[in-house]
Amino acid sequence: MAQGSDSGATPGGVDVLIAEDSRMQARILQRALTEAGHAVRWAENGAAALALARERRPDIIVSDIEMPEMTGYEFCKAVKTDASLRTVPFILLSTLSDPIDIIRGLDAGADNYVTKPYEPAYLLGRMQSLLATPLGVDDADAGMLEVTLAGQTFRVRAGRQQVLNLLVSTFENAVAKNQELVVANQELSVARDSLQRSNEELSTLNAEISRINAHMVRDLEAAAKVQRSLLPANDVSIPSLELAWKYVPCQGLAGDFLNVFRLDDEHAGLFVVDVSGHGVPSSLMAVTVGRFLTPKVSDSSLLVRQTADGRLMVAPPAEVATQLNHLFQADEFSGLYFTMLYGVLHLPSGRLDYVSGGHPALLRVPAGGGALEFHGAEGFPIAFVPDVEYQQVTLQLQPGDRIYLYSDGVPEAMNKDQEPYGEQAMADCVAAGRSQPLDTSVSGLLAAVEQWCVPVGPLDDVTILGVAWRP
Amino acid sequence: MDQYRRIQTGKKGDILMVLFKDKKILDDTVLDEIRAELTQFIGKASGPDMLLDFSGVEFMSSAMLGLLGQLHRKISAGKGRLRMCGIRPEIFQVFKLTNLDKLFSIHKDAPAALATFT
Repeated sequence: MAQGSDSGATPGGVDVLIAEDSRMQARILQRALTEAGHAVRWAENGAAALALARERRPDIIVSDIEMPEMTGYEFCKAVKTDASLRTVPFILLSTLSDPIDIIRGLDAGADNYVTKPYEPAYLLGRMQSLLATPLGVDDADAGMLEVTLAGQTFRVRAGRQQVLNLLVSTFENAVAKNQELVVANQELSVARDSLQRSNEELSTLNAEISRINAHMVRDLEAAAKVQRSLLPANDVSIPSLELAWKYVPCQGLAGDFLNVFRLDDEHAGLFVVDVSGHGVPSSLMAVTVGRFLTPKVSDSSLLVRQTADGRLMVAPPAEVATQLNHLFQADEFSGLYFTMLYGVLHLPSGRLDYVSGGHPALLRVPAGGGALEFHGAEGFPIAFVPDVEYQQVTLQLQPGDRIYLYSDGVPEAMNKDQEPYGEQAMADCVAAGRSQPLDTSVSGLLAAVEQWCVPVGPLDDVTILGVAWRP
Repeated sequence: MDQYRRIQTGKKGDILMVLFKDKKILDDTVLDEIRAELTQFIGKASGPDMLLDFSGVEFMSSAMLGLLGQLHRKISAGKGRLRMCGIRPEIFQVFKLTNLDKLFSIHKDAPAALATFT
C-alpha cells in the first residue's frame, strides 16, 4: 500500500484520511475501513497527511499521536485552524497513558479519542456517530475554557460540541476498557484455578521423581561399590613388586578399571581395562568383564584354573584375550567394547608376557637411566571383531625397572584449547619423576593430567598403574 | 532437501555416501541419533557399499568407534564394503591407538575412497 493510495468508496462509504507512522497498523486499519466500504488515503506523518487533506477534503481524519515530522496534536491543530478543513471530524488514536493527553487533544481541537489498542469495529462505530452529528461551520460557543487537572490549571480553546464529544468518547473508552478488564479478570481467575491444579499435579510428579531419583541414587551407589571391588585391594602386597595406582572416574560410574594381584607363587597378573562410553551400560560391562579377570579359581576365571592333580595353571595372556573376545561376542554387536592391556609377570625372572586389545602401549622406565620406551602389542579392541586370535608379546624387565599402564584418558586428556595431553608429555612427566618414589611419580602424573585439563577437568576416566620390579 | 539432522546423504551409483554434520560426536544422544539415521538410510539395502566422510568431524568419542564396528559388521555380513575418508590426524590417532586403522578401510578423501570400490 503506497502512501496516499486511494481505495474507492462505495455508496454509503466516506473518504477517510489516516495518519499513522506504523505501516503495519495503517495496513490493518485500511483493510478494516475498506471492507466497510470506505475510501482510504494514508500518510505516514502529520505533515504528509495535511498535504493530502488540502489536496482533497476528507470526510473524516483518523490520526496517530506519536509520529515524526508532525505529531497528531500538531496535525489536528493545523486542521482545526484551517478554514476549509476545520469541520472535518478528527479522531485521535491515543494510548491514553497520561490524563494530560485529554487536555492536549482538547487544545488541539480533536473531536474524539480512540484508545489503542482498539478493535476496528469499535473505531468504525465511533466514526459513524461522529459523521451522524456534523459539526457546525462556526461553533459559536468556541471560547477559552479553564480546566483543572492533577492540580494544574489549563486554559484551552474549545467549543461546547467538541468538549461534549470528547467527554463522551473518553467515557466510552473508559467503559470499553472496563469491560475488557472484567473479561480479563475472569480469564485470570480461570487461569489461576488451572495453574493451581497444575501446581498440585506438578508437586505430585515432583514427589514421584524424587522417589525414583532416590531409588536410582541408591542403585548407582551400589553399582559404584561393586565397581570399587574391581580395584586392587588396599593391602595388596606382592613380593619383589612395588605398586602404586590412581583411578579417577569422570562420572559416578566408570568404564575404566584396573587390578594387580598374585596369580600363583611365581606370577603376578596386572591389567587396565577401558570400556567404551560412560555411565550404566559401560559400568555394567566393566563389572561383567571383571568377573572373568579374577585371580581366584572359579568357573568364571579366565586367568587361573586348577588342573586335575590340584596344581594352579596360569593362563597365557593371549589366551585370556582370545577367550574374552569370544565370550563377549553377541549375535548383534551392541557397539560396546573394551580395550585391555593384560600382563603376567614372572616374579623371579622379570619376564612380562602381555597382550593388548586395542589398548595404549605401556611405558617402561629403565632402571639404569636410559630413555623411556613405549611397548605396545597389536590387537583389536575386545568384543569388536569376532574370531580373532590375540598374540602376546614378551618384555624382559631389568631389576629396578618401572612400568606404567594407563587408560587413554591420560594421553587423550584435552585442555581448554582441545589439545590432547599426548604421549610425549606423559613420558616427559614420568621421566622427570623417575628418581622419586613410585607413588609420588604416579600421583605426579595424575596431577599433571588434571592440571592440563584446568578448569573443566578430565572428561574421561583416568587410570594409572605403576609397577616397579625389585627382585 | 535433506531429511536427516546428523548426516548428509547421497548416492553415487549404488554407493551410499554419508557426510557427518556434527563437529563433535561425543554425546550419547548424538550417537544414538546417528545410529538411527544410518539405519534408516541403509533401509532395506542388503550389504550395500558405503562411504563415510568424516571431513567435518573434529572430535569423536570411543563410543563412536563402537558404532562404526556395528556398521562394519552389518555391511560385511551382506558382502558390502565400508570405506571411510576425511579423517583428520587427531581422530586418526584414535583409530591407530586401538589398532582399528587395520580393520577399517581408511582413505584420504572421497575420490580416493571411491576409486577403491571398482
